[in-house]
Parts: sequence; structure tokens; C-alpha cells
Amino acid sequence: MSAHTAQLAVLLLIAYAGIGLAFAIAFVLRGVWRLDPVARGAPIGFRLLILPGAVALWPVLLRRWRAAALRSTEGTGP
Amino acid sequence: MSVGYRAVQWNSHKLRYDAVAAGLVLLFIASFIGLSSVLHAGDHAIAAPVLLIRATGACAIVLLHIALCIGPAARLDRRFLPLLANRRHLGVLTFLVGLLHAVLVLGYYHGFGDDNPAVSLLHNTFTGPADLLSVRRFPFELLGAAALAILFLMAATSHDFWLKNLSPSTWKRLHMLVYVAYALLVAHVALGALPSGRAWPAAAALCAGAAIVCSLHIATGLRETRPDRAVPTQPDPWIDAGPAADIPESRARTVCTPGGERIAVFKHNGAISAITNVCRHQGGPLGEGKVIDGCITCPWHGWQYRPGDGCSPPPFTEKVATYQVRVVAGRVQVNPHALPPGTPVEPARVEETRA
Repeated sequence: MSAHTAQLAVLLLIAYAGIGLAFAIAFVLRGVWRLDPVARGAPIGFRLLILPGAVALWPVLLRRWRAAALRSTEGTGP
Repeated sequence: MSVGYRAVQWNSHKLRYDAVAAGLVLLFIASFIGLSSVLHAGDHAIAAPVLLIRATGACAIVLLHIALCIGPAARLDRRFLPLLANRRHLGVLTFLVGLLHAVLVLGYYHGFGDDNPAVSLLHNTFTGPADLLSVRRFPFELLGAAALAILFLMAATSHDFWLKNLSPSTWKRLHMLVYVAYALLVAHVALGALPSGRAWPAAAALCAGAAIVCSLHIATGLRETRPDRAVPTQPDPWIDAGPAADIPESRARTVCTPGGERIAVFKHNGAISAITNVCRHQGGPLGEGKVIDGCITCPWHGWQYRPGDGCSPPPFTEKVATYQVRVVAGRVQVNPHALPPGTPVEPARVEETRA
């Protein structure tokens, strides 16, 4: 692997983790209880504990968060 | 089990468990470094960072062996159950020690150049002396990195939140990757440390560890496939679960339906009840648990269900499937048709006898 390809691979990894971190912070602050109502009012320790998993699995959580938000919108419609 | 999420559900047992585990890790690393310093003194002295790298690597793989052995050991001998109850903390500790090993490797071998250490690792893995087709020059670091990535995923998703929200089947599949991580780590050690020629103790330890892990899993598998499949009592579908008198008080006998479902048949205060053998939490074997405070208690993490309806006691809301039971001429019979989770079923009395 050339140095350029190695740099690109590491850059992609950092980008994935960076997007994941931004998403995960929003998720643990505002999204987690929409996905799982049991998490409403959960302590900060719990939110910090699920943060690394949310960084790693952000595409999965993003999809589920959107689905939960859609269900919530449909449920409150006319 | 919990009605709300907490970071860690500490209790005195878990605190003691974690304190002992952390203490043993420190003791292992200190002993490894001390012993290696004595064995490799003088001209063969090994640099302190390298000793620390080896000590943390050895410690991580020993911890992984223990984590892998606890499950089958507890199935074979109940005395190991207290170790099982907090296995996930051991898994997280394994990841943390492995992470320390990886950080030390990156810093010591790749941290002094102009490149980012991770870039340097990747670049050197596929260029220079590394050779994917050579045992001696295989880039074994990649195997360790892949194993560490799996251990990270497992540690990061070890909270019950993930079990619920990834779905139990997905979570279980994800955590079964521990066996892939183990295989990668065995190859990582074999290809990294052993070709040096002076690593026969490591080779022997690795072989012994793999033999123990495999033996325990095979023994548990053989025990699980023991012919406990019950035969329907013709002409109705009820299956025989053996003499009621043989079921210990507050314990269970597990029977297997012709369809392969396992049912835990409990006796408590002279009454017989049957629920599924699979705990809602992590699929623990309820039939190996016991009745505590009137509730069937999973031996793995203490989740509880009432014998009469398979519901967790309030305020908890978990439910498992129940089964109809009867006692005929002193023998327990179970209807193998699972009732919806939480369905109340009248327990059969031990002294009950039908013609």
C-alpha cells in the first residue's frame, strides 16, 4: 500500500468517526429516548456509556432514529 | 433487569468482581515484566516499552481465554456461575488492555516518524519486508487490529440498551464475533511472536489455552445434545418430563420438545410450572436457575419471572412463554404448545394424579 493510499484510508476512518461523533452527541442528547422511550431522563453516565457504540454504529442508529421520527409524525397527524 | 437505564448496575458483588479483576491485571503485567526482566538480563535485556507491549498483549489474550471459558464452565459446573454474572465487565477489561497494547505498539514502532502512526502502520504493512504469503514476514499487526476492532464493537455494545435496540438476534450475532476475534488473536500471536524462535513458552501456553477453550466448548456441546428429547404421550401431544418427585425443590428439569424447543419445568412449594428455557435478556438457560423470592431467576444475570405466568415482577415488564403442565401418576407432563408470553397457567400440584 502506498503512503498516499494509507493516508486516504486513515482519512476515511477519521471522517467516519468524526461524523459518528457529531451524530452520537446529538443522539445521546436528543435522539435516544425517541428510539427507546425507556431512555427518557436517563443519567449522563448511561449516555456517555452508549456514546462509543453510537459513534461506531451511527448509520444504523440514524436509520432507526429517522424511522422512529416518521412513526411519531404519522401518529400525531390529522 | 431495570425499568430505566443506568450506566452500570453496581452492587457489592460486581464491585468486588471488578476490583479483583483489575488487581489481577496489574499483578499479571507486573509479574510478566518482572519475570521477563530476570530471564532476559544482561546482553539479552529487552527494552522496557517492549516488555510492557508484550505484557499487555499477553494479559489481553489471557483475559479473552477466561471470558471464553466462563460460559461453558458455568454450564458444566454451577460453582462458576458467580463469574458468569459479570462477564461483560471482563470483556470490556479485555478490550481496554488490548487497546493499551495497540497504543503502545503504535507509539513505540510507528510514533517517531513524520507520518501519522496509523498511516505508518498501514504503509509498512503492505510494503517493505511485509509479505502476505510468508509466515515469517506476515503483517500480523493487521490481525491484531481486526481483533481489537471486534472487541471494541463488543465492549461498546455491551449495555442492555444495545441488546434491546439492535434486537436480541442481531446483538447475539454481533457478540458471537468474539470467536472470530479469538481466532485472529491466536493467528496474531502465532505469526508475530512465535517465529522469533525463542518463544516456545508462548507457543505452549497458546496451544494449552486453545485446547482448554475447545475442550470446554465441546464438552458443553455434548452435554447440550444429550438425548433429553421427550416423547409425546400418545395419543395426545403431552410430553413426559419424568417423575415429579425427582425435580429438586425450587429447581427445574429441562425437557426438549419434538420440535427442539427447551422447556424448564420448575417445582416450587409443591407446585409444578413450566416456562420456556430461554431468558428474554441474553438467552440464558432459565432451567439452570432457581426460584428466589417466588420468582424463577436466570443464572446468568438474575432476570426474574413468576412461575405462574412467566411475567417479571412489577415494575418490570418482561414476559416469557408458558406451558400447560399436569401430573399423571406421579409423572410430570407438559403440553409442548407454547402459550403467548405472560399467559397465566394454573400450576399442577405434585400430589395431583390423573387416570
